[in-house]
Amino acid sequence: MVPISLFLSLAAILFCIGLYGVLTRRHLVIVLASIELMLNSVNINLVAFSAIGPFANISGQVFTLFVITVAAAEAAVGLAILIALYRNRNSIDVIKHDLLRW
Amino acid sequence: MNTQMIFFIILALIAIVCAVLIMALERISHRVVSMAFSFFAVAGLYFLLGAEFIGIIQVMVYVGAITILFVFGMMMTEHRNVGFGPDPRKGQQILGFLGAATLLGVLLYGIFSMDLPTEQPYVGTVEAIGLELYGHYFIAFLGSGFLLTSALIGAVVIARKEVE
Repeated sequence: MVPISLFLSLAAILFCIGLYGVLTRRHLVIVLASIELMLNSVNINLVAFSAIGPFANISGQVFTLFVITVAAAEAAVGLAILIALYRNRNSIDVIKHDLLRW
Repeated sequence: MNTQMIFFIILALIAIVCAVLIMALERISHRVVSMAFSFFAVAGLYFLLGAEFIGIIQVMVYVGAITILFVFGMMMTEHRNVGFGPDPRKGQQILGFLGAATLLGVLLYGIFSMDLPTEQPYVGTVEAIGLELYGHYFIAFLGSGFLLTSALIGAVVIARKEVE
């Protein structure tokens, strides 16, 4: 059996790659993809603890279903905002959208 | 080195390499395809953990739906230009990398200094998921239904063309 710490470290690596993408990429589609990557790594944690954790039970998989639901809703609304933004401002460069910047 | 370990290493390598390629590739379409492969590898990890239902849902929702959604979003916006020119925030890029790397170091230190007992793997069946979902988490299940409905209507309202 694969030890749980390997699953946790894989999830940590994926989370940090996603975090780096959110902080530094300029293309808005890629920023949204990085957010999906971060949510996915959280799912790995939940399923790993649900299967081989100290108190293994089914709740982790149920929570994963809810996280997937929220991720799908977030992707739909985020891409809709992206399309509206591109139609109005003609750019999806993150740096150009600084109307609300202090 | 048993079979599960070999499969874990292969799937983890695919997931990490594809996640790095999302950041590194040139064209946006290649990045989206790489994201789909990363999600697919994660679905394989769920099968490895004995969570078949979550693995199937991952393939259906992430690899199927969300990737297609990203392809649509990519096609409806500017996808031809590869870069946006020189980046005026070079310092922020380095800061972002340092922050993510520090967080990764702290997380890995915490994970490997943790003493978790290894137990017999728990195999959750679909029946157990259904009983729990319609039993303990029924209100949350209804709430996620409302969330999906409102997200669908909101996406349609936001993305449609304004009629004068």
